[in-house]
Amino acid sequence: MESKFTEMYQKEPAEEKDGACEQVADMLDSVVDGEASAEQQTFFNSHIEECVTCFENHQKQKLLKSLISGHLKRVIVPASLAQTIKAKIQESI
Amino acid sequence: MSEQTGKQLSKEEKDARFEAELLPVLDPLYNFAYRLTLDEDDANDLVQETYLKAYRFFDYFEQGTNAKAWLFRILKNSFINEFRKKSKQPAKVDYSEVEGYYNTDDVEGENGVATTTDMRSESVQDLIGDEVASALNTLPVDFRTVIILCDLEGFTYEEMAKILDIPIGTVRSRLHRARNSLKEKLEKYAKTMGYNS
Ligand SMILES: [Zn+2]
Repeated sequence: MESKFTEMYQKEPAEEKDGACEQVADMLDSVVDGEASAEQQTFFNSHIEECVTCFENHQKQKLLKSLISGHLKRVIVPASLAQTIKAKIQESI
Repeated sequence: MSEQTGKQLSKEEKDARFEAELLPVLDPLYNFAYRLTLDEDDANDLVQETYLKAYRFFDYFEQGTNAKAWLFRILKNSFINEFRKKSKQPAKVDYSEVEGYYNTDDVEGENGVATTTDMRSESVQDLIGDEVASALNTLPVDFRTVIILCDLEGFTYEEMAKILDIPIGTVRSRLHRARNSLKEKLEKYAKTMGYNS
């Protein structure tokens, strides 16, 4: 898999469009989650500079992630919970 | 005063470390419990149980390691063992209701409306939160879990694998399917917000 990326990267991305797009699609999650290797990231970046479809897919994936991280409301912890926990622990000893 | 006899902690030391290292995770842990159970009382019970177990097994917790991941793992296991069966079903907020609200707003219409929507206005932000939450809540619990762990709590794939006791490859594929599923649910909303799909 790794060597495939290198191969792709060294060729003209436009000529390998389908294969490259597929690879980029597979990397989308790793990339938005910061889990891609340096090699994958380089391949990814250079591809989306030339491929509008993959560029847009990347934007969408980032948006999706930010909807959760930025817009999902956190629930408020009941004020008494920490005290309850401490009290229960002391009881349990 | 306190003698350092190997790993054996005095009760005072144990209590102090418990408070300093584990209790600060209370907020994310409660939120995780709530997203799993979708019920405040269940979340409350689950978190209490998690901390009681954590205290009991505190000697096995290595200081300086990831307390958050450790607690999340205990909570996840407790949920699977005891809460899963009796936990109530999703969809506290009716998705179509939220959708309806959207459409009666000035966002109404078929084309080009999205540009009039100001993402920064407070009511839109609230709506997004509600809609994201209700879409998320309709996902199967395994899908919900990976999205919460990854996107809300920022765990790495490796940490998620440990919390969930699954291989990293499974974390990846589950996350991928979970996001596709969430994307589907949010599609309408996404269109309203003016990003073409
Ligand atoms: Zn492409």
